[in-house]
Formats: sequence, C-alpha cells, structure tokens
Amino acid sequence: MISEYLPVLLHILVAIGFAAGALIISVVLGKAGRTTKIKDSAYECGMLPQGEAQPRFSVKFYLVAMLFILFDLEIVFMYPWAVVYRESIVESKTILWSMLSFVSILMVGYVYALKKGALDWKK
Amino acid sequence: MTGAPLLEIAVVLLGLTVLLVEAFATTIDKRSLAIASIVGLAAVLVATFFLPSPPPAEATGFWSFYTADSLAIFFKRFALVTTILVLIMMIDYAPIVRQTIHGATHQAGLGEFFAIPLFTCAGLMWMASAVDFVMIFVSLEVVTMSFYVLVAFTRRNPASLEAGVKYLILSALSTGFLVYGITWIFGVTGETNLARITAALSAANVERMPALFGMALVLVALGFKIAAVPFQIWVPDVYQGAPTPVTAYLSVGSKAAGFVVLLRVLEPFFILPEMQKLLVVVAALTLIYGNVAALPQTNLKRLLAYSSIAHAGYLLVGVVSLAGSAVGFYLVSYLLMTMLSFAVLIIVSAQTGDRIEDFNGLSSRAPFLSFAMLIAMASLAGIPFTAGFLGKFFIFDAAIRQHQTMLVVVGVITVACGFYYYLKVVRAMYWEPAATTGAVPVSQFSRVTIGALIAAIIFLGVYPQPVLNALRSQPVTASATR
Repeated sequence: MISEYLPVLLHILVAIGFAAGALIISVVLGKAGRTTKIKDSAYECGMLPQGEAQPRFSVKFYLVAMLFILFDLEIVFMYPWAVVYRESIVESKTILWSMLSFVSILMVGYVYALKKGALDWKK
Repeated sequence: MTGAPLLEIAVVLLGLTVLLVEAFATTIDKRSLAIASIVGLAAVLVATFFLPSPPPAEATGFWSFYTADSLAIFFKRFALVTTILVLIMMIDYAPIVRQTIHGATHQAGLGEFFAIPLFTCAGLMWMASAVDFVMIFVSLEVVTMSFYVLVAFTRRNPASLEAGVKYLILSALSTGFLVYGITWIFGVTGETNLARITAALSAANVERMPALFGMALVLVALGFKIAAVPFQIWVPDVYQGAPTPVTAYLSVGSKAAGFVVLLRVLEPFFILPEMQKLLVVVAALTLIYGNVAALPQTNLKRLLAYSSIAHAGYLLVGVVSLAGSAVGFYLVSYLLMTMLSFAVLIIVSAQTGDRIEDFNGLSSRAPFLSFAMLIAMASLAGIPFTAGFLGKFFIFDAAIRQHQTMLVVVGVITVACGFYYYLKVVRAMYWEPAATTGAVPVSQFSRVTIGALIAAIIFLGVYPQPVLNALRSQPVTASATR
C-alpha cells in the first residue's frame, strides 16, 4: 500500500540531496568558497568600479516580457489545436468557434494594451 | 451548451466591453462605467431566474466539468449580488483611488477598477458550477489572479502594495498545494471528476492514505481561500492594506467560493472518517483564534478581518455537520452584514479614518449610518431578529444533530467573545463624545443600498424561508441526511 509510494519519497530525498550536495561540494572542493575582500570587488582593468552592482531596470522591460509570454502562450494552445483541426472540423464547427473566441479575447487584451501605450517605448 | 454557461459568457463579455470603452473613450466620466456594469450584472441576475432545466447529472463532455444544480445557481446569484454591492462601494471609494494613482488623465485607472471585479465575478460563478478538479483549479485561478491586481490597486499606497505582495506570494504557494493535492488524488483514482472520484473511492481495493494525503493538500489551499486557521496569517495585513471595497469582496466573494468548492470537494471524502476529525480540529482552532485575536483590535478594518476568520470557523462547523443549507444561509447573512459594515466604513473613513476611535460619537453626526452599523454589528454578533442570529442558530442546530458537542461548546463560548468586540464599535458610536462635528455626506445611491441591506438583514432574521427554499433539493442537503 503506502510502501508503493517509497519511490516518491526517494525522489524527494534525491532532489534535496542533489541540490544540497552540489552546493556543499562546490564550497568544499572549489576555491570559490573562500572569499576575500579583493576577490569580491568587481574586476575592471585599471578603473575603479563605478555604480551599483544591481542597476535598476526600466519597468518597460518587464511589461514587454509579460506581454510576450501572454501572446506566446497562445501559440502553445494553437499547436495541438492545429494538429486535430482537420479531423474535428468534419464533425462540427465547434473547434473553429472555440479557437476564434479564445483568440478574440486575447485580441481585446492586445487592443487594450496598444491603446494604453504599453508598447509605446518612448512614453 | 445553452442555459447556465451563457451567464458567465455574458459577464465576461460585459467585462471586455468595459475594458474597451475604458481604453477608447478617455473623456467620459468613468463612474458611468460602474453604473453600466451594475446594470449589466443586474440583468444577468434576472436571467438566472429564467434558466432552462439542466441536463441529467450523469452527463458527459462539457457537463462532466460543469453543473447547473440548485447549489450552483444559488451561488451564481450570490456572486452577482456581491459584485453589484462591491461596485456600488467602489463608486464611493473612487476619489481615494484617484489620489493614489497618477496617470495621464484625472480619472486614470478607474475604468480598470470597475472592470476587473466583473472578471472576478465570472470566476466566482464558474467556481459555483465546477464539478471537476481541472475546472475548479482554472476558475480558482481566474478569481485569484484578478484579486492580485485589485488588492494592490492603489499602488502609491505602501500598505496596499505590501498587501498585494503578501497576497501574491502566499496565494501562489497555496495554489501549489492545490495542484499537488490534485495530482495525488488523480494518482489514486485516475479521475478528476468529483462524481467519478466518489465512485472510485468507495471501491474496495482503493488506497486510502494517499487519497487522504492529497485531500489534506487540497484542504490547505481551500483553507487559505476561506481564511481558516492555520492558513490565516495573510488575512489581517491583506485586509487592512487592500482598498476597502476589495477587502469586502475578498471577505465575502472569495470566502463563499471557497466554501462552495469545499462542500463539493468534501463530498467524496467524507467516506473517509479521518477527514471529519481533521476538519473538526481546524474548525475549533479557527473559532478560537478568530474570536480571541479580534478582542484587542483598535482598527475596524483589522477587526473585520479577524471577524472574517471567526465566521469561517462557524461556517466550518456547518461543513463538518454536513449541513449544506445551513452553510448557504449563513453565507447569505454573512454577505449582507459584512457588506453593510464595509459600506458604512467606506463612507465614514473617507472623512475621518478606519480606526474604531474615528467612529466616536457618530450617532450625533450621522444617525442613519450609525444605525446601519448598529444593525451590522448586532447581526455579526448574532443578536436575535437579525440574519446573523438565525445563521448561527441553523449551524449549531445541525452540529447538535450530528453530536459535535465539542464544537458547539467552543462555538457558544466564542460567540460571547464576539459580543464584546462587535459591541465595542457600537459603544464608540453611541456613548463616546464626538471628536469632530459636521454631518457625513452620503450619496443617494449608497443611502438606498444601505437601507436595502438593513431591511434584508431584519427580514431574513424574521423570515428565512425564501433563502432556505432556494437552497432546497441540492446534493449537499441530500448527503446531510446520510
């Protein structure tokens, strides 16, 4: 019964063990684990490091990335749809209408984003 | 695919239209969008009374994901009424939103503030009908995603932003628990449809432990939604930080949807006795924590957050006692009294603030609003002749029938706790001297809404039959007599 789920437990243990092991081994074996002040400073020939190590990005990058993912996912849905389309369309038109409604909802989102200036880089 | 599914489609189309109007018509008064949404939702609400009868339960295809039984229709109406009330509150709250969003136009962001609740409403309505774990998951996500945006909506307000981040992280975590739980249940039964899971679990050779483990994980996710202890950590901060109408929406809509899913999901699993024991413990803890932690609160919004946890406890007692109709009635009374207290809170806090002290002497400044708050608090505490009293009465009645003595004892003691902190607000309004003078302005629209809510609370407190009739002949009450 419950013993059949032993592989799941083993899987969890292996996953944790692998992550922890990789970290520990790299600290023990590698020299990366030993840090000094000089080693931590940014390496630049002759120049003193300037600015912060983590500069602030414009929020526009995230906005564009988000929109990209949103519309990219559409493709993921369209592939399996396209595969079965030829067989299903013979039986009923449902497959066409369902994809059209899905795309038109995304279209509303696209028009909205366009109108709000989300793709307007200079604004 | 006619009938009930068209309701959600109508609501989604309404939301999309509002969004497009918001994007194209930049010069109109955005509050007219809210009015249009309210009218649209009211039309959908009327349409729920003219539905064709759904196909038989043993249906396949689309109807194995979606049901239109009386429980589903009831909670669809519940979601629509909640959203309409929230939109009315949002009109009152609009000036505060405008202060915290700096856009190109002076009403920037308001259109979305009125459009997103429509999508939440569609999600809540889908949740009411979902009888398949896949459908439950998707509709739950629709609701949660739109709440992410709404909670952090007043984004120049650090408290709202903090609330948004907290809600996002904890909610995403609970979603993870839900999906993991569903995979375990699927692993044992090979099904995602709830009816077929029931059949698979009652088979002799089924493995109980993994199914129970999966169900416990699903309970974690639903416990987060309904704010049950020990998954309540997010509630006070998020409720306090979020814009007040959104808080009201979270505490009523999100909770009710959590409970309708809980009622449906638990049905297959009450075959397993361990499940009931687990829920009894959760219910008792929720009752004690919610009521005791509410005692020292000085901020009314935070007080209502803890009160929302406490009410989740009473509702869980109903769930444990398998009393679907008692839970339904309690949710209706909870909807009315919570919406009433938040409606008054929004109007008063626009002038002074949302601490209890800010309500000092309200009775001399705004007799109508303080009377409304008095009714809301009396109903939340459970004073006879209010809907809140009958709600608690039905819950405890069901619990006694199921011999849940421990829960009844805990429940009655915590009700006494409730009297203290709810009446603290009443004392501030009627006995404390006012710090400021001057009447509180109430728009005509809100005045009518508040009046209707007061009337509904008292009416249902005397004559609960209409709600009970609407809840009759549903699968959950059938299992209550088991």
